Order: sequence, then structure tokens, then C-alpha cells
Amino acid sequence: MNKALTSLNTFFLILLFLSLIFSVFSVPKLNVDEQQSIKVNFYELSQQDDILFDSSIPNVTIKQETKKSSLTDKKIEPSEAAVVSKFKFNKSDIKNEISKIKLSKEREDILRISAIIQSRISSIWIKPNSLSESLITKVSINLAPSGEILNFKLIEPSSNNSFNESILTAMNKMTFLEDVKFLDRKLFEENFRNFNLVFKSSGEIE
Amino acid sequence: MRRLFMEPIGIFILAMICQVYSCAANVSDSVERMQYASVAGEEYLQEEKLDTNLGDKVFFEFDKSSLDAEDKNLLEQYLPFIKKAKIVRLEGHCDERGTREYNLALGERRALEVRDFLIVKGVSGKKIRVVSFGEEKPLKSASNENAWAENRRVEISLY
Amino acid sequence: MIKFFFLVVFLVSNNIFSILEIEILKGSDNLSKVAFVPFGVEDGIEESYGGQISKFIEGNMLLFGEFENLDESEMLSYPSSESDFYYRDWKIQGVDYSLIGKVNSVNSLGNLNISYSLFNINRRIKILEGEIIGSENNLEGISKIISNRIYEQITGLKGIFDTKLAYVVNSDPETYQICISNIDGKNEQILFTSKAPIMSPDWSPDRKKIAYVSFENGLAEIFIQDLISGQRDSIQALGMTNSAPVWSPDGKSLALVVSFSGNPDIFLYSLNNKKLTRLTNHYGIDTEPSWSPDSKKIIFTSDRTGSPQLYEINTKSKRKKRLTRDGNYNARGRYFPDGKSIFFVHGNDGNFQIATKKLSSRYIETLTSTSLDESPAISPNGNIIIYATKDGTNGYLGGITLDGKSRFSLPVKNGSVREPAWSPLLN
Repeated sequence: MNKALTSLNTFFLILLFLSLIFSVFSVPKLNVDEQQSIKVNFYELSQQDDILFDSSIPNVTIKQETKKSSLTDKKIEPSEAAVVSKFKFNKSDIKNEISKIKLSKEREDILRISAIIQSRISSIWIKPNSLSESLITKVSINLAPSGEILNFKLIEPSSNNSFNESILTAMNKMTFLEDVKFLDRKLFEENFRNFNLVFKSSGEIE
Repeated sequence: MRRLFMEPIGIFILAMICQVYSCAANVSDSVERMQYASVAGEEYLQEEKLDTNLGDKVFFEFDKSSLDAEDKNLLEQYLPFIKKAKIVRLEGHCDERGTREYNLALGERRALEVRDFLIVKGVSGKKIRVVSFGEEKPLKSASNENAWAENRRVEISLY
Repeated sequence: MIKFFFLVVFLVSNNIFSILEIEILKGSDNLSKVAFVPFGVEDGIEESYGGQISKFIEGNMLLFGEFENLDESEMLSYPSSESDFYYRDWKIQGVDYSLIGKVNSVNSLGNLNISYSLFNINRRIKILEGEIIGSENNLEGISKIISNRIYEQITGLKGIFDTKLAYVVNSDPETYQICISNIDGKNEQILFTSKAPIMSPDWSPDRKKIAYVSFENGLAEIFIQDLISGQRDSIQALGMTNSAPVWSPDGKSLALVVSFSGNPDIFLYSLNNKKLTRLTNHYGIDTEPSWSPDSKKIIFTSDRTGSPQLYEINTKSKRKKRLTRDGNYNARGRYFPDGKSIFFVHGNDGNFQIATKKLSSRYIETLTSTSLDESPAISPNGNIIIYATKDGTNGYLGGITLDGKSRFSLPVKNGSVREPAWSPLLN
């Protein structure tokens, strides 16, 4: 009986202790964007702009980001790898860096054009207030090499109709993404012939 | 060793019991206090207001209701008059900063602080009337430190 | 090593298999541009009606700075039916939506049939059409209904053009009034005038009554006033100070603050049996209650930790939870209509501003930039917050849309205006 009580007490104490620890450490998590696709967010955009206007200097400081594969089963490894590559300095890391540099020129171009497209769409999309919901709508786009938008389709509409409508309205306003015509043809075919726009509403007050 | 373990749990359980009791406590404990309500009206206004040559205001810090030495000194000087008066009216006020309903409660706190001091000094609690106007009746309507300092006050009137 | 291998494979392979995805998180700072074309008028009807209706609608839609308009003088055409409507006329003007309409006669008694159509210029489709029958004496009312419908169609939010505001006006130190008006400030009605302060107006959910605090008898006392009959009932004096009444969402009870002998606590007051139930019991100040939309919880301000902070209490289990931790002044909290966020007055370096916080997150976001902001009230559709602030010695009402695109102030009245309360939607 006594033993049982003691162990119960110990259990409670541990519970208290844990809740204390938890309350101290329960600072909201930061978003780790390694798992995201090419997400050129706005902090980077300011960097990107510099490159845009001063493209003669090849800038290698662009943050390397892993792309999301459409094959979902491969999702875990790259994100893990990215985390490892970010925090460990070892042999594999150095090799990794070398391979990165090989790809960096192409990547830089893709990122740059992505950033331009992102800001152009952002500048015409009148985002409705959807405070309480976090919404995601995916739009597939087909481009001609000239940059003309051949067609677009809501492939994954959100549950909020006015959110979808606002995106259709914005996409209808946009007829040309002419920035792609300066791209290497191979890069264009691989990346921008057919790509997706993912419109997100965090559901936060912004 | 076991005691060491037991102690925080004991406190925890005690705290829980307190919580339960405080929630269960009901309004019925306040019958005698209701008298305040019945006499807090304007009935005393029929009485003649007493004149003293003393300042009739006690001032406070922002979001505070405690009396400092200067305030207590002033109240001490007031005591002979207060003891003579039939009714002592204490009116609590706040500055305009912060929210109105919270300030209403804060003004009440300030007036009560003065009341408690007077009771300790031997004034009968029965003749003290307390009312709070929160930030609704400022002395100065400007929005600066000086005006705010003047508005955070308890006004004492004797009848 | 294996991980590294995977990474390389992934980097190579993903150029072959994957589709580029670009995230769009931020929207434009621009507003939608709407053309309110003067409505056409059938022969035999007063010609100015067409222009009046479109101007009323325009006035409503622009009231809170949520839209831009195309000036009538810049319009290339004035269609009143779909057959005369050409998208290119509007597209080249940068218009996003066009509203056209027509006024027809129903009978000789002055009843009108008003039909209208709304077009999305970019998508080249008609997104709304409808008709309303109403009297020529009520063009403003008809316009409100049309405004609500087009607002809902464009934004996906409820239209609020037939809601009302209640507020306190203090025109001189001896005159306090409680007033109600339309949201555009028109149709002001004085409910009650007093020489003593009036505070804390709150609408009943059916919009038929207003509860408020009045000092007319020398102490803070709660009154309920019927808006139609004008009858005023005091909730029988309960304690030394009675304050901060708020109606429960079902309208059957009030949450209020009673201080029996200097210790303000939150109570529930049933309007049916006039019974008072204690909710909090703490020696600190507990005040400023407000109901969650599902009426399960009440948010309140308490200084139990030394400074005013927000807490919520479950009305059944009486379980309390602290909601704010940052800053030393967080008070008068209210829930958003969805119940997931709160807005309140946040003290920050001596400035008092309106702030919001998601219940699930720790961060407080400040919305306003003036320094003496208080008494925030939210529109029933959750998109606009109005609040009382001060300019010199005069109080006025300011407002902000929650996307932060628009800030506005409501027309200034004679005297200091404060404590706005936004009525619920008409059911």
C-alpha cells in the first residue's frame, strides 16, 4: 500500500516536473522550410532582387533549398539530408557542396525566375480575408516559351469559394509571364513549361 | 526522502482544494455588505458639506492603488475633521489610460485604500461612502503626464 | 553516407520527375476597383432615382475603404442591361467589378422593381444578378440590401450595411448621452441623456435592447433599455459597483461585474429568474467579461498577477486559463466571431493600442498606431474593428480592416465619442 502510494506520488511529481519543463520550453516552433518546395519567401526576395539587377556577379550565397518531389515516398530523405547538410560539417558535406555548386547556376536561374513570377502574381492577387481558415489552392499553369500563359487550371481548389474566385480573378488578369523567355530552353522545358502555383492563406492576421 | 516527495504534492492538493472551495463559495456571504449599495446613493447630499482648509485629494501612481507617506500624512491632518463629520465620501478616479471598466475597478480600489487607512486610524466604517468614477470624470482633460497625475486621485468630501 | 547518396540521387532525379511549385503567400496591397454605373430608369419614373441608388451603393461599399471606385465621369459607357455591356470598356480602365441595374415601375403607388447585375471583368462573367421590389421612399434601404449582396459576392463575407452602432457621447462635463446610429453615422437617435457618466453599452443579440452602466443615482448601476418602447429597467442594485454588462449569445443572461465591498468579480445574471451566479472569486480585480461565440467560455481581465492580463473561464467547469503573457497591460478582451482569436487593448511603452492574438499562438500583434486607443468592437462579419481614440481633447472613433489595407475614422460629432458597440446582424 505504502509502496503504491510512493510510486503514485513519484508519478505526480514527475508529472509536475514535466509540466514545468514543458511550460518553460513551449516556445512556438519556427517554421523549418526544408520540407517545403521551392519557396522563395519574402525575406529572400530582397536578396533575389539584388541579383536581378546585378546579374553580372554570380551570387553563390543563395540559400539552397530542396525541392519537393511529386513522389511522396521520397519526401523524408531529402529533408533529413538537408537538415544534416545544414548543421554538420564533415566529408559528405563537402562533397555535397561540390555537387551543389555544379547545380547552383541552374538553380539560381530557377530561383530567380520563380521569385519574379511569385512577386508578379502577388502584386495582382487581391487576397480575401479568411481569418479563421488556413487555405491552400493549387493552380497548374502551361506556358509558351514566349511567356504567354496557354492555360491554367485549379487542380486542387480550397474549400473556400471566394478564395478560389480571387485566384481565378488574379490568374485572368495575368496573361504573360515574359520573364521566362530569357531562360535557357532546356531549363524552361524542364521547369516552366508546366508548373504549379500554390496559393496559401495562413489563416492569420497579416 | 519520502517527505521531500510528499511536500509539493501536499501543496498541490491543498491548492486544488482551495480552488474548489473558492468556486463553490456563493453570493450569500454578502448580505451585510449589501448595505453599501443601499446607502451609496445621493442621500448624503442633503447634508451640508463641511469646509476644511486642507487639500481634499490623495494622488496615486499609474495602475497603483497604494498610499505613500505623503498621502498618509495628508490623511492624518484630515483626521480630526473626518472624525467630526457625519458622512465621509470617498470618490476614486483614474487617468484616461487603459480601459474604462478596469479603471472603474481601479478607482474603487483607490477609494477603498483610503477607507481602510481611515478605519485603521479609528474612523467608523459606517459613515464612509465609497464610489468610483473610473476615468469618466477627469479633472484635466488634456493627455499629458501632468493631467494624468492630477486625475489619478481620491477626492474626500465631508458632510 | 547513405543520406548523402540519397541527396544526390534526389537532386538529380528531381529535375526529371518533379513539377516546380511556387508558393504565393502574400496578396496585393491594391483594392478591388468597382464601377457603380448609374442605374437605368424606365420611362415615367423620376430620373434621378437611378443615380441615387448607385450613389447609395457606392457610398456603402466605400465606407470602410475596402474598395476603390471608378469615377462616373471616367466611365466609357453607361449600360443598364447586359446587352449593352462590353467587358473591354471596363478592362481598359482597370476595373475589377462592374455593377449595373435598372429601375422599373411596378404600380402607380410608387413601388419599384430594381434589377441589378454584377460582372467580374477579369473573368468576363456575370457573377450576380437579382431584383428587389420596394418603395420609392426607401431607396436607401433598398440600396443597403443590394450593397450587402454584392459585398458578400465579392468578399465571401457577410454584408454589414444594415447594422448599427451604439456609443457614448460626452459633449460637456455635465452631459452624457447614449446614442445609436447607422454605421455611416446617419440616423442618430439619442437613447438617454444624463448629467452623470454613462458607460459600457452592449447590444442584445436580437438588437432590441441595450444594456449599459449609468451613474445617475450616484453609483454605477446597470440598466437595460428597450429600443422600441424606450423603457429603462435597472438591474436591482446588487452591490457597491455594478459594471460591464454583456449579453450572452442566446440573450438569456448577462455576464457582469459586481463589487460587493470593493472586490469586483464576474457574475452571471439570469434575465428570467434574476438570479446571480458567481463565476470568479479572487481578491484581485476581475472585470470586462465577454462571451465566446459558442457561449462556453468568458474572457475577462484580471490583475491577479499584479498587472491586468486576460484570462478565460469555462462557465460550466469554472476552469481558468491565462491568455496573455507579454506586456504589462492587456485588457478588455473580446473574441473574434470564429472564436479562434481575440482582440484587446495592449499597453506598450505607455501607449495603449488595439492588438490581436490567436488563441493557439503566443504572439500579440498590434493593429493601431495611435496611443490612447480603447474599447475595440468588431463588425459581425469579423473584418473590421472600430475603436475609440483621442485627438487632442476630443474622442472619436477610428477603424481598421483586418487585412490592414484600410484605416479610417468615422465622422466627428459634437463632443467626445467613445465606447462603440457594433450591433449584431439582423436575422
